[in-house]
Amino acid sequence: MKEYRVAILGFGLVGKVAAMMLHKHHQLSIFEAACDASQNGAGALAAAMLAPMAESVNCEVDIAELGLEAMAMWPELLAQLPTNVMFQQAGTLVIAHNQDMGDLQSFMQRLKPIRGHHAQRVLGADIAKLEPDLAGRFHQGVYLPSEGQLDNLAFYQQSYAFLRQQGVQFHFSQNVELHPQSHKSGIEMVNGEAFDWIIDCRGIGAKEQCDGLRGVRGEVARIYAPEVQLQRPVRLMHPRYPIYIAPKPNNEFVIGATEIESQDSGPATVRSTLELLSAAYTVHSGFAEGRVMAINAGLRPAFGDNRPRSSIKGNVISINGLYRHGYLLAPAVVRQALTKELL
Amino acid sequence: MREEKPLNIYGQTFESRLLIGSALYPSPHIMQEAICASQSQIVTVSLRRQNSVSAGEDFWQLIKDTGLTVLPNTAGCHSVKEAVTLAKMCKEVFATDWIKLELIGDEYNLQPDPVALLEATEILLQDGFKVLPYCTDDLVLCQRLAALGCEVLMPWGAPIGTGKGLLNPYNLAMIRQRMPDTTLIVDAGLGVPSHACQALEMGYDAVLLNSAIAGAGCPVKMASAFNHAVQAGRAAYIAQAMPEKDVAAPSTPTMGMPFWHQN
Repeated sequence: MKEYRVAILGFGLVGKVAAMMLHKHHQLSIFEAACDASQNGAGALAAAMLAPMAESVNCEVDIAELGLEAMAMWPELLAQLPTNVMFQQAGTLVIAHNQDMGDLQSFMQRLKPIRGHHAQRVLGADIAKLEPDLAGRFHQGVYLPSEGQLDNLAFYQQSYAFLRQQGVQFHFSQNVELHPQSHKSGIEMVNGEAFDWIIDCRGIGAKEQCDGLRGVRGEVARIYAPEVQLQRPVRLMHPRYPIYIAPKPNNEFVIGATEIESQDSGPATVRSTLELLSAAYTVHSGFAEGRVMAINAGLRPAFGDNRPRSSIKGNVISINGLYRHGYLLAPAVVRQALTKELL
Repeated sequence: MREEKPLNIYGQTFESRLLIGSALYPSPHIMQEAICASQSQIVTVSLRRQNSVSAGEDFWQLIKDTGLTVLPNTAGCHSVKEAVTLAKMCKEVFATDWIKLELIGDEYNLQPDPVALLEATEILLQDGFKVLPYCTDDLVLCQRLAALGCEVLMPWGAPIGTGKGLLNPYNLAMIRQRMPDTTLIVDAGLGVPSHACQALEMGYDAVLLNSAIAGAGCPVKMASAFNHAVQAGRAAYIAQAMPEKDVAAPSTPTMGMPFWHQN
């Protein structure tokens, strides 16, 4: 394969996945608006759950199936990194309080059939077996065995260090204005540098140039709670948005996420904080003495149909709109977008 | 047969008697398709959680793009001050003096607070708003709201999002009977199209719903089903249903039938 000079715009989740796929074959330069790699984009805040079945409740079957494809790609991507990044496929447990059984029933009704994957109805004894800490607290739920999650903070840190080591050039504090040339020379310019290809992975940062792209606000808490032992992500039915508790290494838990049609990326509100943390507390009282490490807000980039989109104009490949499905879909969506020209 | 009149909301008339909400859809595109399938002419939208005018612009533009009359609401407000402030923001964003006034009194079942509702209604009417209060099915409360100057009232069918239908048909019928000149819209708690049909059959002028459509397996199909139900219910009201009887009355006279067929 011919080696190209490739510029990746944006070093969020999609930019990282693209770089991990391309660095062996091409010379990469990464342009990022933030001043360093410790940015707070949607991908850094997310719980990084790989939940195609649970998400199928609100998305089309083909998106959920793409999620399965992507889940199978993660181990290979992570295997490139020198240190182990937690990748787990121990399923998701979905539970509800008695008052919210209607929401659990509605969730089960709306689960879409995905080839070869089945939801299992569980009762108190099964819940106790799966999650001993929840024994006696919940009496009905659903277990989605094929789902997983990964440690996104470790992935963020390690992919940056690894790509640097591989000779990828990084340019931080770079706000790139993109004007695709579609000229015959096949050369695209980024801040005065010439490239054969540009991969635009700016997410919500590309809003001005991306028709119909909007931000969907999400608020997420990160809690250190050594009294709580959960083996896998737990979803709690909630009338407004699905609340999940994803256990991460070192007794940390990511609790999220609100979903508000707003472009406001300001700090989390008191109401959202109360909703998220009280939901977590009702699942496990051990959260009461947990430490709040962070409560952050971010914008998920989304198009009107909440489906990801990729396009090629001139020598610019744009990938955007992964909405709440960044980790679920990124490897598959990025591979689809890059395959013909660059992989 | 009763006389057919279009739905009248503060002097504006509408053919459709289904008001539709804009929350909880799987995506904005599905929302737009469902709104279209519902044949609604009025869409209600919440502004409470956007925090600022600029923050919600993208989503509100999608609502404006439907071309429907927008009825902003104060969902999520718990005090008179919050509701009045938000009503003013709604006026700025959607350039309308209509406001669906929603003031929550109980966090768990989202029951409207009747006392605060009266106070906020008075303030907003004095400020020139056309208030559509979301209230419980209490006759005296409805009368008080009308006495303040509300031309439209929106008593609940059941708590928001429960899908239980008309929990107290007696109360709703009483309000209809005692307030014949007020536009009455059943708001909240409907789950299936027959609930909407029932409200219209009772003489309610319209229904407003969100979760029953947005939370359906196929919101677009369900929106269409509600549209048909509302039309059926209204037609039944206009046609005047036969009175209910306790004793069977055969539709075919038995005289002239062989006696062994008459049992």
